[in-house]
Amino acid sequence: MVKMSLDPVQVKELNVSPSPNGDSRASWEEEEVEEEEEDRLGIATKTKPPKPENAVTVAVSSRVLFRTELEQRVFEQKGVEEYLRYQIEHENEPFAPGPAFPFVKALETVNARLRELYPQSEELFDIVLVTYNHAHVGIRLINTINHHNLFIERFCMTGGSSPIGYLKAWQTNLYLSADADKVREALAEGIAAATMFMTEKLTEVSESQLRVAFDGDAVLFSDESERIFKAHGLDKFFQHEQDNEDTLLDHGPLKGFLEALGKLQKKFYAKGQRLDCPIRTYLVTARSAASSGIRALKTLRAWGLEIDEALFLAGAPKGPMLEKIRPHIYFDDQMFHVEGAAEMGTVAAHVPYGVAQKHNQPQKPGARK
Amino acid sequence: RYREVSFGPTVEDRGVEGTRRGGKSLQKVNERLLEKNPAESLLFDVVLIATDSQQQSSRIISSTSHYGLEVGRFCFSSREDLVETLVVNNVQLFLSTDRDEALQVSQKGVLSALLGRQEAPSESLRVMLCGDAIVRPDCDPVPASRGAAQSFSARLGEMRGRFGVSGSPLSIVLVTSSGGSKSCGVALQTLRSRGLSVDEAYCLAGAPRGPILSLLRPHFLLGDGVIDLED
Repeated sequence: MVKMSLDPVQVKELNVSPSPNGDSRASWEEEEVEEEEEDRLGIATKTKPPKPENAVTVAVSSRVLFRTELEQRVFEQKGVEEYLRYQIEHENEPFAPGPAFPFVKALETVNARLRELYPQSEELFDIVLVTYNHAHVGIRLINTINHHNLFIERFCMTGGSSPIGYLKAWQTNLYLSADADKVREALAEGIAAATMFMTEKLTEVSESQLRVAFDGDAVLFSDESERIFKAHGLDKFFQHEQDNEDTLLDHGPLKGFLEALGKLQKKFYAKGQRLDCPIRTYLVTARSAASSGIRALKTLRAWGLEIDEALFLAGAPKGPMLEKIRPHIYFDDQMFHVEGAAEMGTVAAHVPYGVAQKHNQPQKPGARK
Repeated sequence: RYREVSFGPTVEDRGVEGTRRGGKSLQKVNERLLEKNPAESLLFDVVLIATDSQQQSSRIISSTSHYGLEVGRFCFSSREDLVETLVVNNVQLFLSTDRDEALQVSQKGVLSALLGRQEAPSESLRVMLCGDAIVRPDCDPVPASRGAAQSFSARLGEMRGRFGVSGSPLSIVLVTSSGGSKSCGVALQTLRSRGLSVDEAYCLAGAPRGPILSLLRPHFLLGDGVIDLED
């Protein structure tokens, strides 16, 4: 993606022109704003957010980062004016953490480790709050961010219009929202996205290692094989996979995000921290290791993607396995699996992609591939 | 008690288009204000100021009416007398497509902004405020138009307050370019204390403005000095 560069020739107006060390700064009339001046109300020099094209940008909506069910109810029952009045009234009460909160905290942990090893690098996670909330809620959201010590310096509060354009402007690598329609829009624009839900039960997750788990078909890979299975059944599926063992699967919507994680992992390996790497990735698939799983592994290998653990369940339910792994987030295209994971306390995100969306009813476990 | 917004000369075709759209949106705000209260006095009063020769001026007047821009008054002034003309006419915001002209005016203490030249601007008047200007501590030299900016934003807030959250013909958009979320929070609170409620807020924290600005499509951008929307 091309970076929009700003004309540095403008002298007397406000502009954001790149300074020699690559950071963007605003200049006021004839003055250059000093870094130290900015810091008074802005961001500390050593933790300046990276440029979007260098970072792995994760955009989260306010409803998944925080718990806003009560406020949602006010909105649904009493309308927008009352909703905003309520928000302003409770401005100094921070929201509680939502389903994406542990994931975001884990991203920050990785950033801290990356900054230790590569203090000048901008290859970090950048978390952006993208919400179609009205700016009246802004102060409460900012207060909440400060209360939880989150490092979120960038946001878009679109006041009701679609946030999708802003996702592209931020070069978003992953978008998490509570709104399935927005997620589908994002997927249609080629942005990795998933819908998150609040669960009552939440198992504890690691505070020192980010763990991300992916389903295979229709998440990392295309839904090609799902189509065969849905149309022709299990036997045909096995046959097809065997016949095409050496043909790569096509890529799915989350492949790019796995790739981005892999790039950051390599930075730790380069400094001899493979065993102590704060990022760990998992493939959790209903494929079986002996047969259909081979094609999945060959594809990953051909893509140059390393996945730390591949779990082939051969149709067994995913919940118990996920409960053992304890990922901060698990991506699956089937609501059945998302719900199953949530029941056992795993934060699961639904990727509304592929043929499974037409058949998104809970099925009997074991009737799967 | 009118609020005067005046437009500078429109020479290029694209400039006229920006002016026309900005003008139409300003008109829409007036219409809606009067709908609510026929005795409303807080309205936009548009003055078109032409600083070129008489010939150019009549062309401007005919273009203006051709494009359906309801201009209350026309003023002819020379470049040198422009600022005086603005002051005499109690102009609170000067809009122009000419950057040098807008700068000159701003440095003399009259709030000035450049018109956007966006492709498909919205129906509602979108005014963008630069948050960095709002939170910037008062230090030397204070921009000449700072006082004008503050009083304009207070009046704008009054106007915005006449409408509800949705369906307003006027949208206030806050953008902070370099500060982080804390500084944006300060900007929001400062504006609120001046009576101006913001509809949309974007905190860039150093990210390039271009991509976001092209999505925001403001009609004009207010801050310290003059800000170019063409970034």
